[in-house]
Amino acid sequence: MTALLVADGVCVFARERIVEPASLSLHPGRPFTILGETGSGKSLLAQAIMGTLPTGLRAEGSVTIAGQRLSLASGQAHRSLWGRVISVLPQEPWLALDPTMRAREQVAEGYGFVQGLSEADATRRAQDDLANLGLARAGGMLPSQLSGGMAQRVAFAAARAGGARIVIADEPTKGLDVARRDDVIALLMREVAEGGGLLTITHDLELARRMGGDLAVMLNGVIIEQGAAETVLGNPQHAYTRRLIEADPAHWPDGQPRPATGKPVLTAEGLGKARGGQRLFSGQNLAVHPGEIIGVTGPSGCGKSTFGDILLGLLPPDEGKVQRAEGQPAIKLQKLYQDPPSAFPQRITLRRAILDLVKRHQLDAARIEPLLERLRLAPELLDRLPTEVSGGELQRFALLRVLLLDPVFLFADEPTSRLDLITQQETIELLVELARERNCAVLIVSHDTELIRKVSDRQIRFGADRPESPSGDQRMPEDALA
Amino acid sequence: MTTIAVNSSSSVLEQKRISVGRFIGFTILAFIVLFAFLTPLVWPVDPTKQSLRNVLAGPSWSEPLGYDHLGRSMLARLAAALRLSLGLAFLSVLTAAVPGVLLGILAAWKGGIVDRALSILGDVSLALPGLLLVLMLTAIAPDSPWALYVGISLVLWIEYFRLTRATTRTLITSPAVQASRLLGFGPAYIVRRHLWPEISPMILTVGAFGAATAIMAIAALGFVSVGVRPPTPELGLMMTELLPYYEEAPHALLQPIVVVFLLVLSLNLIAGRKAR
Amino acid sequence: MTRTLGYRLFQALLVALTVGVLTFIMVRALPGDMAYRIAAGRYGYDMVNTDAANAVRTELGLDRGGAAALGQWFWDLVRFDLGVSVVSGEPVIDEVRHQLGHTVELALAAVLMSLLIGPPLGILAGLRPGGAIDRGLLLVSSTLRALPHFVVGLLLIIVLATGMGILPAAGHGEPQNLILPALTLALGLAAVSSRVARDAMAGVVSSPYYAFGRTKGLSEAQVFLRHGLRNVSVPIVTYLGVQFIYLIEGVVVVETLFAWPGIGHALVHAIFARDVPVIQGTALVMGLMFVLLNALVDLACYLIDPRRQTA
Repeated sequence: MTALLVADGVCVFARERIVEPASLSLHPGRPFTILGETGSGKSLLAQAIMGTLPTGLRAEGSVTIAGQRLSLASGQAHRSLWGRVISVLPQEPWLALDPTMRAREQVAEGYGFVQGLSEADATRRAQDDLANLGLARAGGMLPSQLSGGMAQRVAFAAARAGGARIVIADEPTKGLDVARRDDVIALLMREVAEGGGLLTITHDLELARRMGGDLAVMLNGVIIEQGAAETVLGNPQHAYTRRLIEADPAHWPDGQPRPATGKPVLTAEGLGKARGGQRLFSGQNLAVHPGEIIGVTGPSGCGKSTFGDILLGLLPPDEGKVQRAEGQPAIKLQKLYQDPPSAFPQRITLRRAILDLVKRHQLDAARIEPLLERLRLAPELLDRLPTEVSGGELQRFALLRVLLLDPVFLFADEPTSRLDLITQQETIELLVELARERNCAVLIVSHDTELIRKVSDRQIRFGADRPESPSGDQRMPEDALA
Repeated sequence: MTTIAVNSSSSVLEQKRISVGRFIGFTILAFIVLFAFLTPLVWPVDPTKQSLRNVLAGPSWSEPLGYDHLGRSMLARLAAALRLSLGLAFLSVLTAAVPGVLLGILAAWKGGIVDRALSILGDVSLALPGLLLVLMLTAIAPDSPWALYVGISLVLWIEYFRLTRATTRTLITSPAVQASRLLGFGPAYIVRRHLWPEISPMILTVGAFGAATAIMAIAALGFVSVGVRPPTPELGLMMTELLPYYEEAPHALLQPIVVVFLLVLSLNLIAGRKAR
Repeated sequence: MTRTLGYRLFQALLVALTVGVLTFIMVRALPGDMAYRIAAGRYGYDMVNTDAANAVRTELGLDRGGAAALGQWFWDLVRFDLGVSVVSGEPVIDEVRHQLGHTVELALAAVLMSLLIGPPLGILAGLRPGGAIDRGLLLVSSTLRALPHFVVGLLLIIVLATGMGILPAAGHGEPQNLILPALTLALGLAAVSSRVARDAMAGVVSSPYYAFGRTKGLSEAQVFLRHGLRNVSVPIVTYLGVQFIYLIEGVVVVETLFAWPGIGHALVHAIFARDVPVIQGTALVMGLMFVLLNALVDLACYLIDPRRQTA
């Protein structure tokens, strides 16, 4: 089998080498996936292969595409292949579509300008492609009218219209609802099924597993393991790969659910809420007992976060009422946020933020240090701004901040959805441990049913799986707007 | 990805470049302010005193910047004109900034009818291009600097109002402010730790830019002779007066031009690249 | 779109209201002997007597009560009855109509020139941020932005008219008379619009959709024409609206400097002479012109940007 694309000793330099020499080959009809966490250099490797590295970075090594050998050190040799032989399905495709051009036109460009068809033919072919992807009626729409999933399909059609048979998909699930993962896989597999080449860059272990084919795992700019996906994932050789697989919630050890005991700290009766004229939920009853962990799952937009906000009193319910246990001040109910950097004042140091809290409630500042240690946070980090620490560290600081107040109830709203797998596991473990220790009840909301199943004492499931609304308030994934 | 790291390091560079510009701007401005306020102390010459035998005489040891068409000391006149422009601009900016920022926060915080009413007030102030408004106020109260002051402040407050309102609106609905409220902090804390750190850098930018606008407006009105009246020294007015003598004494005409240029340039540099 | 135009109509009303109130206060604030001074201005100092002064007083409504006078004032304004110049005795509406033609001529020439200079240079600079064109343009535009309109005009006069004698410094009637004042205004406008265009273009070039256009297989020229031009022209045209403030202000100063017989020139002279009806008429027309220009910008944005048509 001749390879569509062979990368030989590809490495990337900034001031020093940030991606070590990597070699891989991509075969027709067999997907190739590069798996790695944030900062592993996987996107840079793909950009080097494609010839789209940002200015300031340079590559070395060579790439052979469709029998043509390109030396990466010289640069610009790729241009004639773009669109015709190799193309990119960009990250967050709703940003990669021209906001002022209608979908059909953006696809027709490939036929018209790259393949040289007449305008009428190009438009017709574009419309056919869109119809094939279930987007027959989206041709006249602007990108702002498309849902995240629709934008991805339009971008896919646009990427291929020039005739390219090799597609590099850069983080195809980034910013999309996890429930849409199947659609993404189906979309990418069309290419493979037609004998094209597909190189996927992802942080998503599940996506890598489901794509099959060949897999390379990257860590700190090095491919640490490479081979058939089944082999790599079934029998990982490298410690990091094993660690990564273990961190997948599906592989977490089962928790031991505890029966609810004690007088409820919070009760909700007959809660109901509508948004934009659509009923999210109604008649929800809940009694939260001390120290119990309640998991909430459901598709995005089903109202699961709204439910938590109502319990905290951040939003008023349309019907029903929430009651705190007697003598329990509002301050004992706290929240952990999905995006840790946006939950802290942006321009003051973490130390300042935490000392402000200590001062406000006349807390004992001596409690900070043991908590830091418990949360495995280095004390030096206190002098940084929220934007200068990692997401995982910041989420642990957020945990520290609320724990200082000895809460009886904590609403954790997708607390790890922005974190890498391993960090997610560490964070959730700490959260559960500390909550159990302090007898603090936790309502944890997540889209990940496995995660919820493993950590919670009992579960609430929200909303039946609803089809993605074609245009509405959830048409852009939350990440795209953040 | 690592690209993010690369991008952020380039934006750090960009920030550094802006602060170099700022530094130069502050330096030039400091020199101008020193010149304006120290000259009368070191060189106490009456800027309106005429001496006809010195008409349009060039720079000399006894008079470093020469004399104008009426034999008045250019040095004393420039310093006096600068004090007028700087003082008026500073006062206008201050008068505009305080209510602008406070009303902006108020409008965003209260929303509803307060917001609507304040926004209409802003629209009313913006209905006429700034210089037209100032011109009409000068016509109401001729020969008095208060028309200039009121007019310029009326034009400048809007920018503060709009920016503060927009920033506050996004901030008070942010998770960060929600978290602070849950943690038991009140409005004073939210203003001090969330709003002020975001608004204060803008105040400098808008203030510097507003001061530049004010100085240009004062000079423009002086130039068309509807601003302050002779013999008061004013930069624009000085240019009008010296224009006919350009051939004999180019140095005299160039002086107020260079001073206005340096002053506005320094303020634009302080405002930074984003301000236009 | 209806909403935007409705807002512009509201703004036009505000202009009329502001101008009306300000000129009304102006009349009321006139010192007691103002009627004499105006009469003197009109009939000569020898001819002034109490009758003439009283005639002026009646003409300006100085003898009526506050509320009634204000009501009458607005009634006249709404009917576009702008009264008679107290200096020339001509109906203000005729004078303004005449001057407006000259001002529009100047403003149009200035905007066209600035559009030829500013955006193209800005786009060139923005295509290669940090390149030689970008740096050079930054230097030139920073310098120009630090110079008031009239200083630019002065320097142009000194260099091109007095120094080299190529162009006439002032006057009106010959086509070459238009060049210097229009160029003065255009340079000020272009200094800003080139920066706007530069930043917009740099933003577009670094956008993911521009990169996607390239990897789709489009050539550099095709990417620019299909994905660059429209996206960059939206902010440029939008910013034109803000720039019209500078245009209107510039017209006042530049017309005075070049003795161009337009509305700005007339306004400055009227303020000198305390000719309230002319002040009112010229300020009103300039304010309305500003609103009209902004409405045209709204329309242009609507035509360029399909997002506004679907919104």
